Amino acid sequence: MNLSFITLYTALLRREIARFMSVMFQTLVTPLVTSSLYLLIFGVSLGKSIKLSNDLSYLGFIIPGLVMMGVLNNAYQNASSTIISSKFSGDLQDYKVTPLNFKHILAAISTAALLRGVLVGIITFLVGEIFYYFSHGELLAIKHPFLLILFIFIGGISFALLGLSVAFKAKNMDQISAVGSFVLVPLIYLGGVFFSLDQLHPVWQKISQFNPLLYFINGVRYGVYGFADVSLTMALVVSFGSLAFFYGVALFCLKNGSFTRW
Amino acid sequence: MVVFKTMKKTNDIAALAVNSLCKKYGNFTAVDKMDFSVKPGEIFGLLGPNGAGKTSILNVIVTLEKATEGVVKVFGHDVALEPDKSKPLVGFVPQELINHGFFTVQQILKFHSGYYGILENKDRIDYLMKRLDLYEKRDSKVRQLSGGMKRRLLIAKALLHKPKILLLDEPTAGVDIELRETLWDFVRELRDSGTSILLTTHYLEEAEELCDRVGIIDRGVLKKIGPTSELISELTQRNIEFKFVGKAINESKYLIKKENNEYRFRVPNSVSLNQLFSDLGLELSDIKDLKIKEGSLEEAFREVLSHES
Repeated sequence: MNLSFITLYTALLRREIARFMSVMFQTLVTPLVTSSLYLLIFGVSLGKSIKLSNDLSYLGFIIPGLVMMGVLNNAYQNASSTIISSKFSGDLQDYKVTPLNFKHILAAISTAALLRGVLVGIITFLVGEIFYYFSHGELLAIKHPFLLILFIFIGGISFALLGLSVAFKAKNMDQISAVGSFVLVPLIYLGGVFFSLDQLHPVWQKISQFNPLLYFINGVRYGVYGFADVSLTMALVVSFGSLAFFYGVALFCLKNGSFTRW
Repeated sequence: MVVFKTMKKTNDIAALAVNSLCKKYGNFTAVDKMDFSVKPGEIFGLLGPNGAGKTSILNVIVTLEKATEGVVKVFGHDVALEPDKSKPLVGFVPQELINHGFFTVQQILKFHSGYYGILENKDRIDYLMKRLDLYEKRDSKVRQLSGGMKRRLLIAKALLHKPKILLLDEPTAGVDIELRETLWDFVRELRDSGTSILLTTHYLEEAEELCDRVGIIDRGVLKKIGPTSELISELTQRNIEFKFVGKAINESKYLIKKENNEYRFRVPNSVSLNQLFSDLGLELSDIKDLKIKEGSLEEAFREVLSHES
């Protein structure tokens, strides 16, 4: 019996990866279809009539945002659905009864959620590259790969922690849906995936600055193009701050949440 | 000599010690000042009607619930303060069946071994699947298993890490007679190999069959505790029924029924058959037929609960 952190983390991570790989169609094919539709409708069809101030094509503008949207959505959904399905089946109590502790649970479930998010992000990016190539005759180059990976990592882990928190504290499916519909979807759509900040009314520009997703998404856009709607420093500060905040919330929810069956 | 003393001290540590345990849910007290212990290598039964507090006690031991007051120790380790030390020693079989939607029997056992820090545990997994008749179903998902198989899967999960104490919460609820007896044999085998066992049940036949000692609880309070045979002996009486050749007998306070030459007596276990015959003025040669029915744990259980209510 080896109760080191890495052994218990690996054990739970193995389970979590097997879980999302068992729903491969949902993991990979769904984002392929969704991102193709977004790129076709917004990027290609409507994008021709949208002019941006920074000389980017609209298609080129939305690709990094769609990548990050895929990462965040899937990280959130993977982390929350693994807890919810375990609450339904009753095996969530295994995490409490065995030597696994809060740190193993947070680390393993977040890592698995990030991996799923990254898989979806890669698929979205590849689909975007195909559209970009046919539209521009060249592939979209990545200016700062390290920054791109860093922002994807921070955003993915943050949203995984958020999904975990909501799932642990939720008392029924309605509460899960409410958070998704009334908090996440507005934050994502108003986070600058489909529009540049300078296209908004000044009042909305101010309000948008309180949306942490604006910084995640623009961080990724900075990683791809080397410029974005917010400064790199600001994006880094808010992203790291958000990560610390979501970690604290997740730890609190795990300590005070329920491991019992629904 | 020093070695002998050290060994004695280790053996003195209870497999499970529950001291002044209270568990409240709002204003409702599910467990009230509970004190009992399970000795190493024994089967201890916690008996009580539905809602007596049995599952609440187990939930505190496995840290699914926090004690409102009191201390629970597993082999000397406080479950609330030292869960890292207590949890690897405990195997837990919950009362409710679990579905595990995504995985096969084999996968579930593999992942669960990992939660105890055993990433490669194939031999033990194969042994348990064979011993519990799950091997043929190793590639089936849990929803394809019968209720009895799901119950056996829970037992296999609890034994993957060779726990020193096994907690069984109503292990034979909804299980057919054949499987029940198979499980009883397996529990005895585990006890004989040194595993301590805490069993909760409201099947008193099961407790009488298996348990070295029992504790009877009702509405969260421990009413009686002791070795099973001693409790039966202390709290029940023997039914003695005999026919004899026509002969007048002395009066007896133990006589409960008389029909022609057939007599039925209810006799405390402290009164021997010899003494009863002597009091009645009978000799063995006068007896044509004799039936003795010993008291059961069920009678002892009823006796305890009736006194308290």
